[in-house]
This record gives sequence, structure tokens and C-alpha cells, in this order.
Amino acid sequence: MASEEYRIGVYVCECGPNIADAVDIDRVIEEISPLPGVAVVKRHKLFCSGEGKEFLKQDIIDENITHVVVAACSPKDHEATFAGVCKEAGINPYLYQIVNIREGCAWIIKDKEAATKKAISYIRAGVSRVGYHVPLEQLELDSVPDVLVIGGGIAGIEAALSLASPIRKVYLIEKTETLGGTAAKLAGLLPYQGEGPGAIKSKIDAVGENENIEVYLESEVEKALGFFGNFEISIRPHEGDPVELNVGAIVVATGFSNYDPAEDKKWGYGKVDNVFTALDIEEQISSGEIKKSKTAPKKVALIHCVGRDEVGYCSGICCNYLFKIANNLKETFKDANITHFYRDLCVPNKNDEAFFNNLKEKGIEFVRADVSGVSKGKSGIEVAYTDESGEKGSLDVDMVILAPAVKPGEDTERIAEMLDITIDETGFFEEEHLLLGPVNTAVDGVYIVGCAQGPRNIPDTISQSNAAAGAILSRLIPGQKLLPEVKVSEVLESLCTGCQTCVNVCSYGAASYDENKGVSVINEAICRGCGNCVGSCPSGAIRSKHFTETQLHQEVIEALLS
Amino acid sequence: MNKDILVIGGGIAGIQASLLIAESGRKVYLAEKTSMIGGNAIKFEEVFPNMECSTCMLAPKQQELLQNANIELLTLATLKRLDGSPGDFTATIQVKAGYVSPVDCIGCGACYEPCPVSVKNPFEENLNERKAIFVPCAGALPNVPVIDTDNCVRFTKGEDCTACQEACMFEAIDFNQEDKELQLKVGAVVVATGFDEFDVKDLPEYGYGELDCVYTAMEFERLFASNGPTLGELTLRNGETPKKAAIVHCVGRDKVGYCSGICCMYSAKFARFLKHKIDGAEVFALYSDLCVPGKLNERFYRETLGEGVSYIHCGNVKVEKNSKGAKVTYDSAGKSESIDVDMVILAPAVIANPDNVALAEILGIECDSRGFFATETGSLAPVTTSREGIYVAGCAESPKDIAASITQAGAAVNKIISTAERASVPQAVED
Amino acid sequence: MADEFTPNIVGFLCNWCSYGGADRAGSSKLDIPPSISVVRVMCSSRVDPSLVLNSLLWGADGVLVAGCHPGDCHYKEGNYFTRRRFAQLEKVLESLGLDPERVELAWVSASEGQRYADVVNDFTEKIKSLGPNPLKKTPY
Repeated sequence: MASEEYRIGVYVCECGPNIADAVDIDRVIEEISPLPGVAVVKRHKLFCSGEGKEFLKQDIIDENITHVVVAACSPKDHEATFAGVCKEAGINPYLYQIVNIREGCAWIIKDKEAATKKAISYIRAGVSRVGYHVPLEQLELDSVPDVLVIGGGIAGIEAALSLASPIRKVYLIEKTETLGGTAAKLAGLLPYQGEGPGAIKSKIDAVGENENIEVYLESEVEKALGFFGNFEISIRPHEGDPVELNVGAIVVATGFSNYDPAEDKKWGYGKVDNVFTALDIEEQISSGEIKKSKTAPKKVALIHCVGRDEVGYCSGICCNYLFKIANNLKETFKDANITHFYRDLCVPNKNDEAFFNNLKEKGIEFVRADVSGVSKGKSGIEVAYTDESGEKGSLDVDMVILAPAVKPGEDTERIAEMLDITIDETGFFEEEHLLLGPVNTAVDGVYIVGCAQGPRNIPDTISQSNAAAGAILSRLIPGQKLLPEVKVSEVLESLCTGCQTCVNVCSYGAASYDENKGVSVINEAICRGCGNCVGSCPSGAIRSKHFTETQLHQEVIEALLS
Repeated sequence: MNKDILVIGGGIAGIQASLLIAESGRKVYLAEKTSMIGGNAIKFEEVFPNMECSTCMLAPKQQELLQNANIELLTLATLKRLDGSPGDFTATIQVKAGYVSPVDCIGCGACYEPCPVSVKNPFEENLNERKAIFVPCAGALPNVPVIDTDNCVRFTKGEDCTACQEACMFEAIDFNQEDKELQLKVGAVVVATGFDEFDVKDLPEYGYGELDCVYTAMEFERLFASNGPTLGELTLRNGETPKKAAIVHCVGRDKVGYCSGICCMYSAKFARFLKHKIDGAEVFALYSDLCVPGKLNERFYRETLGEGVSYIHCGNVKVEKNSKGAKVTYDSAGKSESIDVDMVILAPAVIANPDNVALAEILGIECDSRGFFATETGSLAPVTTSREGIYVAGCAESPKDIAASITQAGAAVNKIISTAERASVPQAVED
Repeated sequence: MADEFTPNIVGFLCNWCSYGGADRAGSSKLDIPPSISVVRVMCSSRVDPSLVLNSLLWGADGVLVAGCHPGDCHYKEGNYFTRRRFAQLEKVLESLGLDPERVELAWVSASEGQRYADVVNDFTEKIKSLGPNPLKKTPY
């Protein structure tokens, strides 16, 4: 409760006629002035104007004000403005409360008497509330600028190259014995995406030449603890002792796996000769093996959407890479008949459709149909299908190429658990926000890029790696302190029963359980201040700073007194 | 090397790029052609695939941008010249007079009412009217009106009308304000000029302009918006509520030569809007290829299908007038079919912003054959233009969804900061 | 009683969506009855059931809690927790002899000024028909 040492200054903004015409401000002053703790109640034509701010600042100083209430517009407009004035006047900005008597009162209550009453009630609530405010201080944390990148495919390589500099080291951890991932196995890229295998190879070479990137091959990350700016990492290398590292951020670029067409015998994969996956063919083209085969393929079927129904999504890249393969085969085997069996063409990039049209001109066939089976036929392989008018048909070919759906990488679950990040319904890592934070995760400082986040092509993977790097570079600045959220939650240990409900509800992993003390702990560096843990706590043991139970109760009580 | 950055375009890509650059401690000049930020995304009521409220998503970002001390927002601003070289550009920006001081204006809106002029509001796809002093829609940020000199009688007819000025209690309106030119020293430029909609009038077979019940996608977005011309009530131009609607996909796709990649998704969103808003509404989606790439988009399509939307794979769609509203004919599985509907929504191709070509010339970068900014695909750099120090993000580069635009904005920021960091000298290690 | 009963409603609004919706209603100058007293919280999930119960015990005729639409939460999934907690709260209210209708959970987005106005108006009408809170007494 406001005591005598309190000198609360209440400043009522007229907002020109906006508040002054709708609310009887003289009466407001009359009713608020006698409240305990209130030292002054003053009005101004427009507190957010330069002159208004100066008046406010000077008055806070002149009147030895300890707590400030500004009754004006929505906090969305000027909460920060007046907090800045408080700071300039030497008052902790958390000893101030803005009261919305414009949008919340003057503009919506047409009767002046009623609006005045409402304004008084709201200001009383602000005065009561501010009496229970305590000064809060901005934490300042040191940070490590270095970054851990998990996965040495094209996504990880690009992230590492985008981040490494003389002032920032990157640790690139790859599970296998080589860098490059799937991209390095490809026969090339679509002509409008990049310069074939050379583009990938030059990036791999650039990693090797970069003295600020430390590569760990045949290694895995075993442990990651901490928060944005300060993660402790433990790596199990190929040989020797575990390596301990400190990094400020983590980029997860662990790639994807493919749907295994052997899971459904209708695809004939593994049973019928010359049925390949697209990646099998890419490798045959890369190695030149395909040209060496004794009999050149004369009739080839390319089957889209293999496993699409099983995974429940369109991988978005298969149409295009099958076009690339078809084009390549047509160039190598000029007389070959090539037929695509597709459901819907998914060619969402601006240059895709022109390439597709070009294939049609080259005589490549496109049949919109559902393939019902790939089996050994009388003369080679029989592809049975049902076309869009419901007619059944079949085509004899001597080679089948399947485009299996892109699935989450094999390590996804282990890594998610280790980093405390989530997996979505499709099994890929889950982003913080699908649209606004597509490469962020719920754990601040942990980013997901490339096919680890969802199926995508190489240019989009590179965009994501760059985007994660951009997010890191803009915030993790060498020598600069990190400034976490101030209005966070805190546990009152004496009340905490250790039930860990808060640990379960926190979307950001800010709440954890201290085994020794038997109580929950909120990490202030991680907490975003939503207060969900407060709402969940059965024993009232968590306090939301600046939105404490007492502060909110003051608002409720004043609302009910009027 | 100048650390300050110029961002052109205040849509989501430009906003995201500005916020990230500002966070790194650099000064950002954000030049936006119109009087508000938020671009096209702020026009949408909800966005796919999670049907999130667009304003709720973007308003915090807009607020953050307006309050960020490192960002100087220039509205009504266009780039006129770019001199110098990467790291040391001088950008000449023309800032058109808005005749309202953003410092003095508090956004109360008292000036609109007395204005004697009423004109079609292009922000609302001309579905309602606004005054000659206006903000484009309720909730526009910054909440500072401007005078439309093409329609204000003071400027068009030289009349001595001071209605708005008299209504303003803050002396924020200054008819003598003049256009000005700013010279900004910047190290790099991010181009985020967004997209435009294919003009469906170019394809008369869809009946747009001829039939009152035919709408473009953007018109439908505003018709559905709770801050739009009908406050979210789905009401046709004839005042009726639609009962049977056809959504035509791929309008203009053949003409532009590419699939825009987002229309199937927003069309599914429209279908749901209709289903949810209007009891018993019948919705037909006339599509040629279903393009729902990515891990969560197909689920969205399946859910839409589950709500009873009829998806028809077809081609050769034509819209003609009939007594119900429109007769839509199409070829499907080799047969010619037709449906009678009372509303037709066209999903036009996403095309390049027509300003791109002139802007590319000023910036000294290249556009592709369709007017999008060209990137260095050869070296797999999706945001790097043909000129060092100039990056592109969002639909200025190609049609894309919000997530991909946000991603490219981050990628452009990465290019800027990492270029600077690579040139930096490590500080001597102490101890 | 000669005077018409004017309900006293406490409205907890989340900062990101519903408070934005209330602001939009304000800037659109919509009519909102003075029955509602708004208390801003960062997320609807901050509103623990005891805040609602205390409001009722101290005499509120109704309590409105408004947050982002499901799926829209600024903090990922706070509003789902809110929804769950309120489902449970209903039973508690019944056991206290309070009509669960006195507590309303609504989803209002930042662009839905009109919806905010409708929610407040409708809820006010509902509370009017329910009459004053039988537990009404002075706080403390």
C-alpha cells in the first residue's frame, strides 16, 4: 500500500480534445488528488509532444516524484515513450504505469459522466497498482560469439561459411567421414539453380580453406546445456577424448532421409531389376556408371509422389529433380522414351515451369495418373496405373525411377531431446513460428535450417542457412552484452512444492527443477515473461515481475469499488 | 565502409530486414512508397496454413519498428539516384509531402470527417471510399494521415478549403509542406519492393469487370478483413450473401509462364472463409495442378477438402453472365462441364512490382525477363543481386509465401553483416 | 429496484491480440459499455483461476478473459493452457454455487475491433440477465 514516503505523480493527458472533450479532467484531478500517496495530479494538452515530455520530466524532478502514473492513450502508443521520460528523470521505468483512458475510455464511452467515472476508476487502479511496483533492473549477460553447426551437408556448410570470420569461430560437426551431405552426391543442379556439382564442391573447399571453421568429422554432439549466448557443448570425436566447447548459438542442419520404397511392395523396389530411386540414379549419373551399362535404357518411367500418402505431405522438390534426371537421360540416351507418371505438378519457383515446358518439347511424356504397381512384365517392367478419367492402363519399360518422399533425418529425435527443441506432427524439427520465425526454435539461440526443418530445394536451403546466420549475427555481437527480458517470472522457493507443473507448461524451457533444493527454478535469461507458469502453479509459488498477483489484484479491486 | 543501411519497401520482408539490421546496432533508413508499412501481408485477415490473424502477427513487428531508435522510417519515399560504390553509396531519396507532421499528429482521425472529398480507396481495392486526407485503413501504421493531392480540392482546384486543418487540434496539418530530397550515406541496400497481382482484365474469358460477382483474390481478402470495407461481412456488390462460389486457380499462369506457388494455398484459405462464414455455402475450387509444397501445406488442403469443398481438376475455364450470377464452364477429364454460381473468385498470378525495372536501373542491378530482380543463381546465392552491396528479399525476387520472405530478409541481413565481419580485425586476446 | 442493474465486469485481456482488438475498437470509436474494466496481462495463460475466483468473490458480476485465437498465441501455446484451465474452473465455480456463465473465455484478434465490441456487449447483456453476483460484498 502506498505509504508516506511515496510521492506518486499522476499526469493526465488531454490528448487535445480527444480525452478533454470526453472526460471531465477537472473532476478527475479532484477525485484522484486526495488518494493516499498521491503528491500531484497534473494535466497537459499533450504529454507525448516534445513540450509535454519536457514538462513531465521536469515535474518529476521538481516534485520529487517517486512513482509515476500517466493517464493517456493505449500502452501500445506511448508506454515506451513515458518510460523513457521516467528514465531521463532518474526514476526506474518500472515504477511507472500507463493508464489507457483514450482507446479504453474516452473513445468508447459516449456519455461524459460515465466516461469520467470510468477514467477515475482506471486511474485509481493505476495509482493503487503503482504503489506495489518495485524497481526492476535490466540483466546484462556476457556472451560467446562462436557458433556450433551440427551437420556438414550443404545447409551446415553454408551456415558455417556465412558465420565464420576473424571475430567469430564456427565448429562444424559432421557424423560421416565427408562434408557435402546429399548435395555432394547429386549429378548436378537444375540449370537455373547453380553450376552443377562444381557449385557444391567449391563450397566444401571453402570450408577447408577457412581458418575460422573447425571441422569435426565422424563426430557427434553429445551434450548441449545453457541458453542463447552461453551454451556448453560436449562433442564425441572419431577418436580421443570428448571435446568441450563454449558457443553462443547452435545451428541444426542435420538434413533428411528418404521414404524407403521397399516399405510398399507395389513399387517393386529391391525386387524388380532396374527399379531405382532418384538418388540411385543421381549417383550413377555422377559416377558415369549409367553410360557404361551394357544396354542403354530405351523406355524409362519416372514415378512421382512415392510415399506421399504415407508421409502426408508433398515434398515439393521431386517434380523438379525428376525433370532434371529426365533431361539428363534424354541428353545421354537420345532415343529413349521417357514417361512421367505424376499426380499434380508442383513447380512453385519462377523458373520451374519453363524448364518443364522445354521437356515436353523434347518429347518427354507426362501422364497424370496414380501408379498402382511396378512389377516384372513379359518384356521388362510393367507399370500399371489409373489415369484421371478412371481408365486403367499399363506401360512396359526397362527402367523405373522412383521419387520417394523426403522424411526427417534419422537423428532428429535424439537431437531434439538433447537440445530441448520440439518436433512437429510431420517429424521434422518444429520452428518457433512457421511464418515469422521459420529458422528459429522455441529455444532461443538454437536454429534449424535446410531439410532438418522441412523438405526443400538447395537454393531455399541456402536461404535458410543465411537467414539463421543473419539472426545470429544481428544479435550475438562480440563484446556486446545480451539484454534479456526484464518482466520475467521468479519462483518463491518457500512456497514451491516441487510439483514441476511449470516445467511442463513452459514453451521455452525456461523452467527447470532443482533436484537438490526440490524446487523449480526459472532461468531469467530464457524466460519471455508470458506468465503461463504463474497461471499453472497450484501453490502460487511463481511471481510474474511487473504483473504480480498483488499488482493485478489492485486493478481488480479498484474496478469493483467503483 | 559506411555501416548504415537503406531498405527499400516496408512490407514484411523490408520490416524484418530493418529490425534485424537495427538490432545489430546499425542505422536503418526504411524507404516506403506509401504512407503505411505492412505491405500486402497486413491486408490479410488470416494467413495459411494455420489460419493465424495477420494483424496479431505483424502489429507487434510494426510497433517495434516504429519505436526502434535505430530505424528511420521514410514514408512516401522513393529512391531517385544511387551514387558511389558498395560500402559507400549515396542514395538520393525523394520524400513526397504528406502535409501532416508526424511529430505533431496523434492519429485521432478528427481531420477525415470534415473533408468534403470522397474517392475510391485503392487500399481497399476500390471497394469503399475514403477522404482526400486519409489513412488507408483502420489500424494503419504509422497512424498518420496524408493528403491525397490528386483529389484534395485545395490542390486540384485551388480552392481555399481548410476543413481538415480547422479540425486538427494539434496544428499538425501544413499545406505548405514541400517535397524534399534527402541524401543518405549508406553501405548497402536491401530491395524489398514486393509484388503485384496479374491484371485479370487482360483475360476477358473470366468476366472480371463485366460481371459484378467476379472478384480478384486481393478484393476477396479485403472483403473478408475485419478492418476492411465491409468489416468482414461477406457481401457481394449487389448486397447479397454468396451461397455458391467458384474459386478459379491459375488465372494468368499461362500468360506469365510460371506457377506462383502460393495461390493453391490462399485459395484453400478462401474456401474455408466461405465455409465458415456462410452456413451451407457451396464452394468449388477449379484447379489445374495442386501445388501444396512443404511439410504442413497438404494437411491444410486435406482439411479444406474435409470441410466439403469440391476440388475439380480442369482447364479452359470461362465465366459468363447468367440469371444466378455466373455460369462457369470448364473442361474436366475430357468433358465440358458447367456450374452456376453467385460468386467467382479469381486467383491471379503473382507478378513483379511494375516499379522494379526503373528501380533496377537506378540501383544498377538486373531484372529477369519477368521483372523480378535477378540473383546470382550460378553461385547459389539467392539474395545476392548482380551488384555488390545490393541484396533482394521477398517477392521482389520471386513469388513466395510469408515464411520464405522472412527467410530471405534474414539472408540479406546475413550478407550485409558477414561481409563487414569478414573484413574486421580480431581484437588482441587478453590474458 | 428502480435503477437498472449495471454489471461490473473484470476483463483480462492479453497484450498481443485482445488488447489490440480493444484498441482497434477504441480507435474505430465503437460503443463499448462502461461495464467492463480492462486489466492487461501479457498472455491469457497468466490469468490463473484464483484471479478469476477472487474477482468473483470480491463482487465482480462477471469475468471476461480474452486471448489470441487458438493457434495464434504470441507465446506459442499459452492460450491452449488457458482453455484447459477454464474448462476445469467451471466445475470449481459450480461447487461454489456460482453460475459458470459468469466467466467467459473469448478469442479476439488485434484486428477484430468489432468483435471485441460484440463480445463485451453480448457478455454484458448476459450478465444483466443473470443479475448481480450473489456473493457481492465489498473487497476485503
